[in-house]
Parts: sequence; structure tokens; C-alpha cells
Amino acid sequence: MATIFETVQNILADKYSVAKETVTPESTLESLGLDSLDLIEMMFEVEDAFNIRVPQEAGTALKAATVQDVVDNIQKMIDEGVAAPTGGGQQP
Amino acid sequence: MRRVVVTGLGAITPLGNDIDTLFSSLIAGESGIRMISAEGPRGPFTNLGADVHFDPTLYFPPQQRIEHYDRVSQFCLAAASMAVKDAAIEFTDANRNKAGVSLGTGMGSGTTLEETFTQLLLRDPDRVKPLTVLKVMNNASAGHIAIQYGLAGPDLTYSCACSSSSVSIGEAFRQIRHGYADVMIAGGGEAALAFGFFKSWEAMHVLAFPDRANPSASCRPFSKNRSGLVLGEGAAVVILEEREAALRRGAHIYAELAGYGSSNDYKHITKPSVEGQAGAMTLALADAGLSAADIDYVNAHGTATALNDVTETRAIKQVLGDRAYKIPVSSTKSMHGHLLGGAGALEFLISVLAIHHKAVPPTAHLDVPDPECDLDYVPGRGRVDQDLRCVMSNSFAFGGTNAVLIARQPD
Repeated sequence: MATIFETVQNILADKYSVAKETVTPESTLESLGLDSLDLIEMMFEVEDAFNIRVPQEAGTALKAATVQDVVDNIQKMIDEGVAAPTGGGQQP
Repeated sequence: MRRVVVTGLGAITPLGNDIDTLFSSLIAGESGIRMISAEGPRGPFTNLGADVHFDPTLYFPPQQRIEHYDRVSQFCLAAASMAVKDAAIEFTDANRNKAGVSLGTGMGSGTTLEETFTQLLLRDPDRVKPLTVLKVMNNASAGHIAIQYGLAGPDLTYSCACSSSSVSIGEAFRQIRHGYADVMIAGGGEAALAFGFFKSWEAMHVLAFPDRANPSASCRPFSKNRSGLVLGEGAAVVILEEREAALRRGAHIYAELAGYGSSNDYKHITKPSVEGQAGAMTLALADAGLSAADIDYVNAHGTATALNDVTETRAIKQVLGDRAYKIPVSSTKSMHGHLLGGAGALEFLISVLAIHHKAVPPTAHLDVPDPECDLDYVPGRGRVDQDLRCVMSNSFAFGGTNAVLIARQPD
């Protein structure tokens, strides 16, 4: 199973055409070429990938974040059980 | 007074995605109307419509992500790129401050709205796609065009139902005439061939019944057996420039935009009025400094609804008098359908092409004359070798907004 870092790396590569080898834990999302709208979209991808919901108030924290910050936050949300609603993404 | 000329044209239409295919199809009396089968929120459905065959990858490089643009914005951006290329104009620091955009749309981003609410109500109750707001806002198309070409002047979006993009062109014309801008990318579009919109129009009882033998002949403006309008989609964009500046840079001039008239019926939200329509035509003639004798062709609003066609015929006769019986009056909606917010721009573009190609497009499928519609509607096929000095393009709307544009042969 892919680690959180690898999954984030895959999202950056697949959706934002970031070369995988340039993604390190220290790189900031801005330095990888993501603008403010890309960050909003990326949260959606993260929610899908980990079956979580990023709380509204956590939404602005990504701007200066490094990839490691993102990984840590995702781990925290998984641990705290900020899960997607039951049936999320499914038929009613 | 500053004069305004048309130096570039671009269109995405049910009759083709370039102006030459569009115009030759129109002159041949070909129709883009058909039975459309699509996937709706609750399964497949079929409706009469005039849809566009459109491959966005032809117009957008891979790094410009198509999913960020509603279908109507994709159409408008594609039409704008054609028009800018056709005008061979470049936007630089020298001209960007007085270069702007003026677009019209009626239903806005209909398909994205339907997808969004379907997703939210039927599938995923706690979130919608990111950037939905930026896709569905009515001025998304105009904003993206300004970014694409670096235009710092007025960036406007008009929504007045079926007059939207005649108003957007007319108001862009005034921006240039009154000195606020030197060049405007003007036009509009519509892309609302979605299940909920078909149902909404169906509920108004204004849609044509499908002709079972030949669905493409279902829209019959001015014909006694007309049964209503056919929804269409697409976009049309023109480049308007201050005439002296266009001449200085050696631009090809298709036509002059000579006059614009705008009025309201102020009586009823849907029922048209002879006085309101005639008022807009009279204002446009006066604005252009022309008289009835100067008009050689009228591109009618001609929706093929009982109310419009009779009212418009009376209004044309009231304004043009005897001249109304001597000139061709046609409704090209019989072939490209009703583009709603995009209709005015497409029909003005067709009027300009009529002057340019010296040809009058027909009213297709007009087989049964209506005694109440007694003008020369050019039934069946178009006419070539017609020297057209001035052409009037009519747009009327729910809400009562009437907008009339007059194009003149360049001098």
C-alpha cells in the first residue's frame, strides 16, 4: 500500500503535471507551481484519495505548506477520524 | 463621431465551427436541427435540438485545463480565438487599456449547474466540485477572454434572455463610439442543452413538435404550420474597432456597425409588442442616420412561435412601410435553432457575412404561407448576387428587451 507521501506525490504528478522526482518532503506546494486555485482543487483530490473531509477552517492552511506539512495534516485527519460521511461518493 | 467597424468573425455553431461552413450551409438551406440523445440525471433522454459538434482539445492546449471552463465558456473562448485570428490584431501595452470584452448569455453555465446539483442531490450530499463558482458565474467567459488576450478595458457581461448578445454587441459599439474603448471583443453564447433546461422550456409550451419524417425540418418560422422554437447552442464573437484605427493598421473591414436601438415592451414578461419591437428598429435606424429605403435585408428574430412571427411582421411593416414588401426578411433560426443568449451575436455575424458574400440566407422549411405573415421570407434556399447596402438584425426577448443592430457595407 502506498504511503501518504507517495499518494500526495501521485496526485501532484497526475493532476498538476509536477515531475515526481521534484517532490520532496521539504518542497512547498507553491514552489511546485501550484497557485491558490490549484490548492483548493488539490484538497478535493486529497479528500477522495483518503476518504476524509478537510474541515472548512483547515482550508487556508495549505498555502505556505510543505509536502511534509500536508502529509502530517492528512495523518492527523485520518487519526482524528475526519471521515467522509457514510455513503459519500455513493448512490443514495 | 467615432465610427465602428467589424474586422474579425468567429463562431461555434450547429452548422459548423467556422464561418465559411456556417454560411455555405445557410445559403444551401441546410439544417443543424436533429433528435439529440443524451444522458440525463435519471437516465437517457431524447429531445429535438441544434447541438454543436465540438472537440475542445482543438482549441485549448493541454496545460489549459478544460474542466475549469463550462461548455459555454469553451464555445466563447473558441469563437473569440477565431475572431482575433481573423482580425489579425495583436494586443500589447500600446492598446490593451482601451481594449475590452462584452459578452451576452441567457442561461449561463447550464450544463455545469445541472451536473453540480445532480451530484449534490443524488450522489454526494456534502460537497460539490471545487471551483464550481468560477465555472458557473455568468461572466466567466468574458473574464477568461480578457486574461487570454491581456485586455485591461471594460469587461462586461449582459444577460437579457434572447437579446443578450445583441445588447452586448450594441453596448460594446457604444463603448467605442463614446471613446471608452478602441477595440472590443463582442458577442455571446449559450450551452444549455441539458435535461432540466429542456424540461423548463417544454413547460413554457414554446418548443417545436418534432417532424417525424424529417426532424431537421421541425423549425418553420413564418410558416402557417410552425409549431415553435428549437433550442440550440453555440457562440459567436465579432471584433469591433474604431474605424480610423482599423484603417491605419490596414485591417480587413467586413462591415460597419452603423446603429443600435434598444427598447422594452414594458407590458408583459413574455408577450411581445409591435410598439416595443418597432421602437427598437426605429431607434436603430435613427442611430445609424438611415431611413427605411437604405435597408436591403432584415435578419429577423423569427422564432417560429405564433406570437413572435406575427408581431415581428407587423413591427417590420410599421417601421419600413412599403419597403418591407420589397426586401428579403429571413429567419436563420430555421437552420441553427434558437441560441437564446447567443442568438443575437450569431445572427448579427450572419448579417455581416450576408453583406460580405452578397448573399441572403433563406428561411428554411417555409412551405405553407401564413396570411398574417406576408413578407418575402426567402423560403427554402438562399439568394446569391445580392448587393446589400445595409442589413438590420433583430433580437427580442422574454423580459421585453428588444435590441436591433444595423450593419452597413464598408465605404
